[in-house]
Amino acid sequence: MSHPFSLEGARILVTGASSGLGRATALLAGRMGAQVILTGRDVARLEETRAQLSGEGHRVEPRDLRDTAGIPEWLTGLATESGPLTGLAHAAGIQIVRPLRMLDDEVLNETMTVNLNTALALTKGFRQKTVCASGGSVVLFSSVMGLTGQPGQAAYSASKGALISMCRSLALELARDKIRINCVAPGLVETGMAGRLKETLPPAQYEAVTAMHPLGLGSPENIAAPVVFLLSAAAAWITGTTVVIDGGYTAH
Amino acid sequence: MNQSEFLLQLDSVIEASPGTLKGDENLADVSAWDSLAVLSFIAMVDDKFKVQLSGKDIAACQSVTDLALLLGDRVTP
Repeated sequence: MSHPFSLEGARILVTGASSGLGRATALLAGRMGAQVILTGRDVARLEETRAQLSGEGHRVEPRDLRDTAGIPEWLTGLATESGPLTGLAHAAGIQIVRPLRMLDDEVLNETMTVNLNTALALTKGFRQKTVCASGGSVVLFSSVMGLTGQPGQAAYSASKGALISMCRSLALELARDKIRINCVAPGLVETGMAGRLKETLPPAQYEAVTAMHPLGLGSPENIAAPVVFLLSAAAAWITGTTVVIDGGYTAH
Repeated sequence: MNQSEFLLQLDSVIEASPGTLKGDENLADVSAWDSLAVLSFIAMVDDKFKVQLSGKDIAACQSVTDLALLLGDRVTP
């Protein structure tokens, strides 16, 4: 019997694979034996991820996911070329810090499109029989901002909270297709996106957010490990839930 | 953008009536200049000037004039 935590034989699409949490997830999935399809917008950085991957058969498939209508057909094409997918890790996302007085439809719609609409379109595409032949696991990257609040994060919180609630309904709908779907809700992790947050927030506010993580800020690998667990057979009875990975942020 | 247009933008950022700020104020004396105003200022500058300021840049500013100086010759006299 194969190791329950292994991803041998798995074929997993990772979005946002050019950096941060997506890249760390792709690398760990590769180490655990999966064939990984890397997507994102920056071909050069996707190739950097591929160069660091262990194992064979990984692919780089650049795409701007904001064209959500074309996603199901795109996934059909990918599965036809590479074989059926068994997992999807949707790490791509954006965070725009805006107080309410500066928040308009443009910022809200961009945030919702990139963080939420893509998740729905990718899941819709993944469940097609041409893509996911015999069940699988979907992991959506939410955030502690989907569970708690911070000033200036209304749009981001809305999009990340929507992922958590959407995931519950989708879990019920996808169970008959033997597809599990879960969210992870990371706290603040030292990635490029967190670097931009550090740049944007007044230093005192950033320090306050940092101090809210009793175990310190996270590393991308801290998030990748539970994601890979959710993708594996070890998580066979877990669906519709959110795994909080936050160094104690929400314990307050 | 000229100096008076910049001040009107800043009035809007701190949710004050147009014409409130004259340009020579110390930020410490402007009660509406709080952390949300700083985030709003960053967003305004991003929208209007396509410039990404950091919280650190702004924390170093003492006065309204210093804020305008962050934008160099993008704010004309």
